[in-house]
Amino acid sequence: MPRTSRFEGRLLIAPLTAFLIALLGFPLVLDIIYSISHVGFENIRAPELTGFSNYAKAIADPEFWAAAWFSLRFGLIVAVIQVVAGLGLAVFLAPLFAKRPWLIALLMLPMMVAPALVGLMYRLILHEFVGAVPYYLLEWYGDFPAFLGRDWAFTTLVTVETLQWTPFALLILHSSYAAVSPDIREAASLDGARGRRLFLNIDLPLMLPAIGITFFLRFIDSFRVFDNLYTLVGPGAGGSTTSMSIYIYQAFFKVGDIGLAVAASMLLLVASFMVLWVINGLTARKAPL
Amino acid sequence: MTRLNTLLTSAALFAALGVTGAMAEVTVLGWPGGPEEAGLRKAADAYNATATDADKVKLIFFNRDGFFDKLAADLAAGSTDFDVNLLATYALGRYAPFMDPITLPDASKATFPEKVLATMQYDGKQYGIPTDLSLHFMYYRKDLVEKLLADADWKAKYGEISEKYLGKKLEPKDPDAWTWEDWMAMALFFTKSINSDSPTRYGTVLQMKNLLFNMMVWQSTARAQGGDWMNDKGEITVDSPAYRTALDIYKKLYDEGTSPKDSTTYEFAEANAAFGAGQAATMLQWNAAFGDLDNKDKTPAVAGKIGTVAPPAGPEGRFTHIHGLGLGINKASKNKEGAVKFLNWLGTPDAMVIYAKAGGSPALSDAVVAKVSTERPDLVKLGQYAGSYGFVMHGGTAAKALQVYELQAKEFTAYWSGGKSLDEALAAAKTGMADLLKP
Repeated sequence: MPRTSRFEGRLLIAPLTAFLIALLGFPLVLDIIYSISHVGFENIRAPELTGFSNYAKAIADPEFWAAAWFSLRFGLIVAVIQVVAGLGLAVFLAPLFAKRPWLIALLMLPMMVAPALVGLMYRLILHEFVGAVPYYLLEWYGDFPAFLGRDWAFTTLVTVETLQWTPFALLILHSSYAAVSPDIREAASLDGARGRRLFLNIDLPLMLPAIGITFFLRFIDSFRVFDNLYTLVGPGAGGSTTSMSIYIYQAFFKVGDIGLAVAASMLLLVASFMVLWVINGLTARKAPL
Repeated sequence: MTRLNTLLTSAALFAALGVTGAMAEVTVLGWPGGPEEAGLRKAADAYNATATDADKVKLIFFNRDGFFDKLAADLAAGSTDFDVNLLATYALGRYAPFMDPITLPDASKATFPEKVLATMQYDGKQYGIPTDLSLHFMYYRKDLVEKLLADADWKAKYGEISEKYLGKKLEPKDPDAWTWEDWMAMALFFTKSINSDSPTRYGTVLQMKNLLFNMMVWQSTARAQGGDWMNDKGEITVDSPAYRTALDIYKKLYDEGTSPKDSTTYEFAEANAAFGAGQAATMLQWNAAFGDLDNKDKTPAVAGKIGTVAPPAGPEGRFTHIHGLGLGINKASKNKEGAVKFLNWLGTPDAMVIYAKAGGSPALSDAVVAKVSTERPDLVKLGQYAGSYGFVMHGGTAAKALQVYELQAKEFTAYWSGGKSLDEALAAAKTGMADLLKP
């Protein structure tokens, strides 16, 4: 490459590089400093460096691990349910979508609502004295479960998250299903493949990359759940619904231990990076095929 | 050239505006968006009508969301953007290092009861003029309690239920004479699952969400049993028999079904919804709830049928948690002289009358509250209860008082919801509090 062209290339990429450094680099450096400091709101502009004690505190804190387990469990369960439901809907509703594509827009509506509002909405819907669900359960069966109580909160949260975000899985998987070439299906049909066999041997393998991407997107989004969970139940009785995001929020704003909050978020960042690195590695290895 | 002139003119205008803003006015950072703001605006208008230009007050307001954290960061950074700022009892210790103590003018001692002034004291020093007070009322359904006190069959049933669930036969009493045990009996009696004749589904509605404000509501129960955060030696006493009894009162009421199943997620609004629907006979709640609950348009089911008394009595007496909002002086202020003048005026009976009539909730001495009792009858009880029953826990104004409430909320709700045993919850609370409240 001629020297002038290389210079021009660097010049053109400079604004983007500066933008990334300013937007990602600066907060990262600040976070690293805070994570190794004793810092609260009182000394936020003059943190005292204390080494890695915040990391040690987070790692030794059983509540950190409880929050990590909650988020992991929540993320995995919700992602699996949404992918399975989204896939089922995409396949079974495909003929309907082909005739009436506007139905897809209708099904996307839940995604248009801010998660915090969804949480508030269900807080009302499930409230014993103003909500429709307990009212009708009481009318019909004479009783209803404590939807937001300790025993039911997790199930309620999974249901709420699933109802709001399954349309996202449906959208991607519907596109993927629609992209499978009719020629391939026709060829398989000529060979005698029908129904479930056609789906399992032709459609599903071709949709696998889309299913994988949908799963990871939904897992990442659900793992970092905060808004709807916070407005619906908060950290829960005895901290029973504390996700990683809520743990970090509580440590930062409620306890004022900014060092601990940032150290926990850095640990989360490292864990996320490792997962992405593994996924990236797997994808790169499969690329030549 | 024209553009340059425009720029210069604009710069001069901005500079002039800046100079005007800094012309020795007293900038007051108030509590935004509620009756407190309305009250402060009226009070400031009245003060500015007679103040010299140098002493005039300018009001600024943050958003309520994260207010105290933003204020802490500003004070710590030595901000000079405001001379006078909001204070809250439970955050006094957090702000005290960045504020100047004040000397109370004589007028303020006549305006406020001693216990109300104490809500703005930390480490033996006065840090602000108390402007608003929050405490708790025991709300009850007058119509139902009156019937219970008059109906022989209901009385007999009340005795049976109290004997079965509390181990002793109790007689129904007037709410103003209730002990915590009487309240428990009342809650049991008015619970449909226990007494099929009860006109309400629940006898009470408890606020048991893992939320620091719910600890403030509950802790009057502990104080009445003799509980305190720490003793005079600074030792944490949260594992005392008094705390155990108080925690068990809520636990028993919840387990017996006298409060809705979802009570472990209830706070102010949910409790009001239950009581306002006419399905709970009693409720320990903030004084601020009264206006809406007694409003026929907002809560037709119970408006006009509500009675309020101070929380019930325990072996150590009758208590209500109190905390105040107030105004104090920023240590970095550049106009402390003007700030002191304004606060001295704000503590006078005349200023507080203006503030109260405009919507504020100051707890005033009997002589002063008499001047507003027609427009604000609720302030009469507020001042009386604060003066007679108000308390602040030992350590309740410490720098990490809010964190103590957070910790208690987590541990005590774990016990109430069955996540931890009483011993485990108290041990965790004691260890955490010792760390948070260490000198």
